[in-house]
Order: sequence, then structure tokens, then C-alpha cells
Amino acid sequence: MTGFLLDLNRCVGCGACVLACRIQNALPEGVTWRRILTLNQRRAPKGPTYHFSLACHHCEDPPCARACPSGALVKRPDGVVFLQEELCIGCRYCEMACPFGAPSFDARRGVMTKCHFCAPRQEAGLDPACTEACPTGALQFAPDLTATRGTFEAPAGTPGFADPGDAGPNLRLAPPRGGLRMQRLLSLKALVGGESEGDHG
Amino acid sequence: MTLRTIRTVCPRNCYCTCGMLVTVDGGRILEITGDPENPATQGKVCLKGLSYAERAHHPDRLTSPLRKNARGRFETIPWEEALDEIATRLRVIREESGPLAVLHYEGSGSHGALSALAEAFWNPFGGCTRAHGDLCWPAGLEATRLTYGHNRHSHPVLTRESRYILLWGHNPAETNIHQWRLILEAQELGARVAVVDPRSTDTTDLADLHLRPRPGTDAALALGLAHVIVAEGLHDGDFLSRSAHGFPEYRARIGDFPPERVAGITGVGEEEIRVLAREFAGADPGLLIAGFGLQRHRHAGQAMRAVCLLPALTGNVGKPGGGWQYANLASHCLGPPPGIPPGPSNGSRSFPTSRLGWNLRNLSAPPLRAAWFEKANPVSQHPRTTEVRRGLKELEFVVVVDQFLTDTARMADLVLPAKTLFEEEDLVTAYWHPYLQLRQKVFESPEGVLPESEVWRRLCVRFGFTTEAFDLDPSERLRAMLPAGREGVLEELRERPLNLSDYGDVAWDDEGFPTPSGKVEFSSEEAARLWSVDPVPGYQPLPEGHEGAMAPRYPLQLLTCKTRDRIHSQFGNLSMIQEVDRSRVLDIHPQDARARGLDEGDMARIRNDRGTAQVPVRLAPGIRPGVVHVLEGRCVEGDPWMNLVTDDAVTDMGYGATFYECLVEVERA
Repeated sequence: MTGFLLDLNRCVGCGACVLACRIQNALPEGVTWRRILTLNQRRAPKGPTYHFSLACHHCEDPPCARACPSGALVKRPDGVVFLQEELCIGCRYCEMACPFGAPSFDARRGVMTKCHFCAPRQEAGLDPACTEACPTGALQFAPDLTATRGTFEAPAGTPGFADPGDAGPNLRLAPPRGGLRMQRLLSLKALVGGESEGDHG
Repeated sequence: MTLRTIRTVCPRNCYCTCGMLVTVDGGRILEITGDPENPATQGKVCLKGLSYAERAHHPDRLTSPLRKNARGRFETIPWEEALDEIATRLRVIREESGPLAVLHYEGSGSHGALSALAEAFWNPFGGCTRAHGDLCWPAGLEATRLTYGHNRHSHPVLTRESRYILLWGHNPAETNIHQWRLILEAQELGARVAVVDPRSTDTTDLADLHLRPRPGTDAALALGLAHVIVAEGLHDGDFLSRSAHGFPEYRARIGDFPPERVAGITGVGEEEIRVLAREFAGADPGLLIAGFGLQRHRHAGQAMRAVCLLPALTGNVGKPGGGWQYANLASHCLGPPPGIPPGPSNGSRSFPTSRLGWNLRNLSAPPLRAAWFEKANPVSQHPRTTEVRRGLKELEFVVVVDQFLTDTARMADLVLPAKTLFEEEDLVTAYWHPYLQLRQKVFESPEGVLPESEVWRRLCVRFGFTTEAFDLDPSERLRAMLPAGREGVLEELRERPLNLSDYGDVAWDDEGFPTPSGKVEFSSEEAARLWSVDPVPGYQPLPEGHEGAMAPRYPLQLLTCKTRDRIHSQFGNLSMIQEVDRSRVLDIHPQDARARGLDEGDMARIRNDRGTAQVPVRLAPGIRPGVVHVLEGRCVEGDPWMNLVTDDAVTDMGYGATFYECLVEVERA
């Protein structure tokens, strides 16, 4: 299965991926298929600061498709969770069902829109525009997620990442590994786990 | 559709100077990607580079000259009328007051060798008034030149080979994204990273060690580190005996900076000073990368001299993956455009650029009557905004050349629309990587826009000056500016960036230092002679520092740093950038906020005797208490001008600006 890889150690939250997506897909203002979500933007020293670059994770069992009353959202055999716009009635149930807020409503046209995994680019043998643009190599396209075990892990349980339930998001995260960010992640986990903050200095 | 992909380069005032591939359908940009042929920028551009897709075709872009009418409103006028008016006004002013009554000011808004064509007008005009120095980096440049002989550093990709990277006053995760990728790779290979910065940033998050000194005390910190290194015998005696000049004097100086004293000056703990000294001296190789942030105060040059000696003290200079990195001028190899007539022998006059506002109003014999600004937005970017605006108002005639109606353009009598980087072929140098790049033309300017070269040509015609410099074929002109002795360079540049310098990838690996002594100058008689400073770098408290006379009334040190989203006042007007832009806030430590009754989201008034600016509060537990921060660069109406509060002093060397020597008080607005 295909998916996205995000290295939380490398992402600086710059937003190049967001712009590349907007340009590639000619998204109108107000419609966003990819966002940056920053954990602990104030940099409180009790926890780490890192960034999630988030789009549709093209889940294995997509809650958006389950919630869609008109059958507009389908999980295609190529893995893409695809919105058939001609079937969309604009009810926005998918938006409510998605744990990650991935579908984006185009108010002007009254339909939902979402990331199609740059399917046309993939068919042309190109990576999605967002991963292609990432200047630090943090966001990558994985043609086969099963082959990327090791550094990258399933995202559930990463502080700041929404509870995916049983959706099975096709995103793998490499956790913070370096410097103060890692030290602070450890101390946050300790704090959540009930240990005293002092244990990890 | 006929799609074409053209190799060009981003000419902004930025470390990266990315090679770009632009895909267009006729005159419209469809896609921008990085040029994989540039080994330093590795086939990527940043978000600003991507945003040219919007910027180049922005509806607010100026496409006609504008003249301010009697009611203060802009009206579009034809080019011929605009140029006739400029010629008439400049001629009268020159006759009545002489050519020096006109200021020609060029900023760093767009880099390209053709900028020098302006001389083809101003030289036969009889010269003009200009600004010298730079708002950004000159103290560090001069400090490096005095110490090592010239501004070179090793090839950026060698960063990967470093075992210890000390980032000082530098935030490459935001301002040098390609360098950041290399640092990440070095760290993944086992290098340790230390950062000296009073703020917490994406860069400091990845640091293994983060020191937060008081702004303006970097010289003391550097001398303190040297104290520990020498006291513990961690310096490289062999390198120093071969290649150091003035080491005994320096050694005596650092004797005055034991960690106990340095801790008191800098606010950094004694133990942290010892740890950083031992770690850096013990690493092989160790790399010190300094940003521009620690040289924006009156004693900047001496501070940079103190800092830049640390890699030499530890024997890291000349090693792959080690050494001193500040600015790399290896690509600065171009000559002037041919055909420019010589200037007047009695010369132009000039003033330090930092002092623009004062000089607009106070120059005499002759006073300034007119000014021409291009690639610049001094209302936003120069210190002492109030003075700058007053000065602009008092001038008889102001011309501004820009792509947008900037804060400065709004104050002009005449605004001329500027081309974008895509509309004229030019050569672009860099200051981080060693590559010269060709900014190939991608499409024609929209109707109504002329490149500056054509503006100067038409003015020369009106004045009856020679137009020889403009008559050459554009490619022939660029070819004539390239260094001699190598054929086909322009054609090669169409295929890839080129490193034309005769320096190797490792700076100073032959230990050939083009200084007066031929060695690294720990003591510099040249510094003393040129700039009247102590030949051995020392530490002096800043006049407007934490112990300065203003401190009792204005106890907070304000930093106005850079961000990834903009280059100064450029890019922030784009909707694409606004979507991801971290809005402008006052970063203040919770304890400083609490003491002032301020909470998250409150509107704060930042003030001192020079002015006030209002910004919403963001509690920032990671910033050093006593220090506050707001991003510089105003892009949209409603944003504050932070330079309302900054001062227009001049650095001790290089004629730089002192933006970060700025005391303020903050209160609820």
C-alpha cells in the first residue's frame, strides 16, 4: 500500500508542501488539502515542539467514506481515497467523520474537495507535488508502506496526533530523535505517564 | 498548450540563492521546482520560491507608471510622460543645486549584475549622492576579512562531514533551509549541534546544547570560551605557532574573561560555558556557522572578530567539515557592464545607509532635493521609520521603482513598475554557495512594464548621454562581464550553475591567509588603523544594552529577526504565504509578561523614545527573560513598522546597522 512518510525530526513546518499542493491542484483560496499543525507553538519547555504536515492519509478503512451518504467517497484499488465530485451533495458529513480534518469544503461550489494523492502525477511516474517540494526531505512518498518499517512507525500515540480509531491511516511517522526536542518528548511522555518531570531534566 | 521548462535562479537577498526550473505555458507559471544541477540547493526551492507562481501574476502588480496628483492620489500615466517629467525635474535640480542634490538608492530587493547599468546614467549626470555600507551583514564581513583575509568558506555540502556544528546567532531552519538539511544529515551521522541564540526556534529545538546569552554580549561569551579552551590546553598549539598572528596579545586578553566573569556578563551559566568550550574544542572537525544576528549592534565588528577566532584557536580552519562559515563571496567574480562612461573625478558623496532618515533631512552643501529608490523599501526596512518618512515627505521629488505599491512607493511622487526576475536575463551571484547562476528570461514583461535597463537607456537619451552601454546584445553584455580566460561560460550556465572561483572546496586548506601578516590575525593592526578599535578584540557593554543608560526606563532588549515566510518586506502580501504565515506577535517570556499584566493575545504597545508599535502578545517560555522579539519586515497595511523603535547608529566597522541594539518597554495597549 502507498502512503506518506513524515520525519518529525526533519520537518520545520515551513509550508512548502502546502504551497506545492495549492499550485499543483490550482486550489481556490479557502480550500486546503494539506496543512501544518504545530505542537506546542509557544515552545513551553515541558514538551517538545514539532510540526505535522497533514493531508488525507488515504486510510485503509476511511471513516469519511463510511460517513458519506451519497457514495461519493470511495477507497480505490490503487489506494486513493477518492471523492467523486459529481456524486457529492455537500453535506459535509465526511468532514465531521475524518479524525484529521482532511476534507476541505469549497463553499463557492458547494462541494467537498480533498487530496487525491496526486493520482495523475503518480500515473505519470511522479511523486505527489507535496513530497516533491519538501526542501528538508521530511515529507516523502512511500510506494509501499510495508517496506518502510524501522525508523517510521504508525502514528497512533504520537503526542499531538489525532486518535485515528480504526481508520488505519497510511501515514508513518519518524519520531523526534535529535537534541532538545527528543529530550523534551521523553520528559513529556514521562509526565503523561505520571513520572516526575525531574527524572529527565 | 506549449509547455516550456526554463532554468533560472531566485535573486532574493537570501543565503540559499536556489537554482530553479520554471515551467510555463506561454506567459504563465505552472510549476516551479528546484534545479537538481545546483549541488548546494539540491533540486529544491523554499516556499517563497514556490510562491512566485502567485507573485509573478499578482493582480496588485504595477503595470504602469503612476503619478501622484494634487490630491495625493496616484494616476496612471504613459511611460513617455513619466520619463519626461523625471528628466525635467532632475535637470532643474542639477542646474540649481548640482547633481549631489539627488540621491540614488538601491537596496537588496533583487540581485543581478545588470543593476550596475544605473551608472551609465548617474556617471554622466555628474554623480549623485549614495549610501554606503549595508543594513545587514557588513560588520561580520569586515571582521572576517580582517581576521582571515577574505570572505570564503568551505563548500556547503562539507557540512555533512562535521562532527560538531556550533550555530551562533543563526536560525538556518528558517533562513537557510538547504543548510539546515545538511545540518540534519550531519546530526543523523552523529554530529552534535550547539546553538547560541537568546530565542528558541526550530533550530534550537534540534540542538544538543542551547545557550541563550543576553543580546550584545557575544564577544564576552567568545572570549570566555577561549579562556576555558586555553586554560585547559585544548587549543591547537601547532596550528597557532604556524598560522597565528598576535596570539600572545590575544592570550593576555582572554585571561580577563574567566567563566565566572563571563557568566555575569552574558547570563549564561558557568558550567554551560565550560561544556560548550570543551565540546567544541574536543570535536574533530568542528564547524562554527555564524548568522548575521550577532552583528547588529555598535560593537558588532569586535564581537564578530572574537567569535570568528574560535575555529582557528581550535585548529579547525582548513579542515573539511570544520572551520568558520559566515559568507562565501566565491561567486562574486563579475566585472561591470561594458560601455559605462567614467564618473566625475570629484566623485559622488555618500553616507552610511543606516543613517538614511537623518541624511534625507540634514545633508547640506547641497541638501538633498530628490531621491530615486529601487529594489528597496526603506519605510519598512530602515531604522528610525519616523525620520525616514519625514525625510521622504520633505523631498521635492521622489521616484520609486517597484513591482508593488509598497510603503515607500506610496510616498513617491512617481512610481515606475518594475520587472520580475523572470523578465530579463541576468547573472546572479550568491553568498552561501560558490555558484554563479544565470537568471534566464522566462517570459516577456506584461504590457506597460519596462526593465530598469531600458528605463536608464531612455533617460540617457533624454539627457543626450551616450547609450553605448545599452546598445550591446544582452548576451554579449553578460559575456563581457564574466571572468576572462574560459570560453563558453554563458552557454554552460544555461545548463548548470558554475563555480568559477579558483578556490578549492575547503577554505584555507593551504593556510594561505591574505592578511597583512599572512596569518590568522588574532591581533589586527589594520583593524586599529581603519576603524579605531582595539587591535585585539574585546568586550565593551553596549551603550543601549542591558546596563545602558536607557535600561532603567526601557528594560527589555528587542530583537526583530527574520522568518522563512518573507524576505524583509517581500512575499507577505501573497495569499499563498498568508495561508502558512505565522502572524506577527510579540514573543515575551511569561515572567516579563506577568510583571506587566499582559496575557496571551493581549495587544501590547512596544515603546521607547523613538516611537511605538502595537503587536499582540504570545507568551514564549523559550525566550531569554529580558528579551522580546517581533519578526521584522512589514508587508501589509495594518502590520506594525518595527523600525519605529530601532535606532540608526552605525556598527564599529563595515558601516552596518544596529537593529538589535534596541531597548524598549512593553505595556498593555
